[in-house]
Amino acid sequence: MPLQLDFGALVEDQRVHRRIYTDAEVFEAEMERIFERTWVFVGHESEVAASGDYKTVSIGTQPAIMTRDEDGGIHVLMNRCMHRGATICQEQRGNSSFFRCWYHGWTYTNRGELVGVPYPGGYGRGFERRKFSLKRAKVGVYRGLVFASLNPEVPEITEHLARARYYIDLFMDLSPEGEVDARSGTHKYGYDGNWKFQMENGVDGYHPNFVHQSFFEIQGKKLGRKVMKLFTEASSYQSKDLGNGHSILDMAPQRKSHRPVNNILRGSTSDASTKIYIERLVRRYGEERTSEILGASNVNLAVFPNLLIIGIQFRNVIPINVNRTDVYLTPTTLKGVPDEINTARLRAHEAFYGSAGGGAPDDVEMFNRCTTGLRVKGAEWLELSRGIEREHTADDGSIAAHISDELPQRAFYRQWRRMMCEKFAEASESRPQSVAALD
Amino acid sequence: MATLSRQQAEEILYEEARILDSRRYDEWFAMLTEDVIYWVPCNGEGTDPDREISLVYDDHARLRDRLDRLNSGLAHAQNPPSKTCRLVSNVQVEQTSTDSAAVTSAFILYELRQTRQRIFAGRYQHRFRYQDGRWKIQWKKTLLVNNDEVIDNLTFIV
Repeated sequence: MPLQLDFGALVEDQRVHRRIYTDAEVFEAEMERIFERTWVFVGHESEVAASGDYKTVSIGTQPAIMTRDEDGGIHVLMNRCMHRGATICQEQRGNSSFFRCWYHGWTYTNRGELVGVPYPGGYGRGFERRKFSLKRAKVGVYRGLVFASLNPEVPEITEHLARARYYIDLFMDLSPEGEVDARSGTHKYGYDGNWKFQMENGVDGYHPNFVHQSFFEIQGKKLGRKVMKLFTEASSYQSKDLGNGHSILDMAPQRKSHRPVNNILRGSTSDASTKIYIERLVRRYGEERTSEILGASNVNLAVFPNLLIIGIQFRNVIPINVNRTDVYLTPTTLKGVPDEINTARLRAHEAFYGSAGGGAPDDVEMFNRCTTGLRVKGAEWLELSRGIEREHTADDGSIAAHISDELPQRAFYRQWRRMMCEKFAEASESRPQSVAALD
Repeated sequence: MATLSRQQAEEILYEEARILDSRRYDEWFAMLTEDVIYWVPCNGEGTDPDREISLVYDDHARLRDRLDRLNSGLAHAQNPPSKTCRLVSNVQVEQTSTDSAAVTSAFILYELRQTRQRIFAGRYQHRFRYQDGRWKIQWKKTLLVNNDEVIDNLTFIV
């Protein structure tokens, strides 16, 4: 049996080994030690707004179903019949109180209880239906974001989110009702490369002026300002380590300006709508908090391991295998604002994001190029040292550096190493023997 | 005063396909009216673009930006560019009146970029307006069969 890789040795403080992107053994371990151990983003509660609503999701590579029961509770059920293993739900979304496995007709409620077994006479007296409930994930909801965990001992979701909560609050508070809606559809793209490329890139303030130069030049001309200045050495923007692997590109210096919608990623709206919107925000939150909220209108937030909140969207990074990743971008609309503002949000999102957008496909192109480039042997390391000497403690207590620094990536990999090297209770019933033997 | 025959519609659609497959974007832009809408819905049929996200929902100005970016040489997802060949068929003139017409068609689009080949298919819906002595595209909706699935790169014009 081959020796197990020393995962800790693949990630150093300032650089990472190419095998973390290319090695299937690393990927399998990530699924077990990260995606089965921590909170994984699966969606927004508005996506299952009504009782009976469901949406199929993934926890790492495992298929699951997010459901809303008749009492309003949200569940994440593994999409696997407890009889012989077939998936019980085939649709991306829908409404149903029951799920029937069409292989042999076993039927479950949207809470996961087995309620129907055809021709039960064939089973012995010892057969108990209640022992065959669907496998369930633990569910954690924060400000409408739904996370699932396969680890019964996972810390509370609020604890896990650490300082990211402050920025999630700002994002949700852009609505005068404090709630966003995630029912305007989903952009889906993918690439032949490792999932971590997308997680690194979502909070990478070094790449925009090169990858997105073509977009910035055209938009800058229209807006009459130099968009690219935001990412040069002269920028006052910061990157921040928010704890537990989460990080942000923080636009705090802009936070005093009232420029909520006339922004390249937000679209432009009429003065009348903007006025109504701001009035509603002030009524709900007061002047000071309103300024703080509006300043956050250009967020790039990474929540370890698989969520990015960027622009108006939740971005779900879905690992398929070591060399394949799907990415779902779900744009949000704001509750309690004039329709025109939400339409402008959608149009601005489309301009940059999605498979046909003017920005995101160029990022994806870089992930593909990295995948090809990393086949080179002998050049084993990727450098992530940028700005390490500029790290300092910010006013809020987090570690901060310049926006173009690789602090977010270092924060991600600190958490990655912690989880990949953690000793956890082995030989639980669900854990295959071979994996337990590796620990 | 003009009405659009199926043969005329086919000629325009074939010409458009050829121009797009040749990436002669400025010539394509000249085929459009100034109040054009170019729409590629996402997640299904496309019912209300004001309330749902699209893959593309461009007016004249946004299309100009899109084409300028493609022409800039810095649109990395099109460097190298996609080579495409599309077949347009099943052309039906749904409605035609003086100086305007609605036409539907089906297409298969073969794409090659670097070493990867992909096939797209779907339906086109065009609205034409007779203007300045020619039929121009005033509205175009491209309904991709796979618009609710993962699409890695759709940065060429479909």
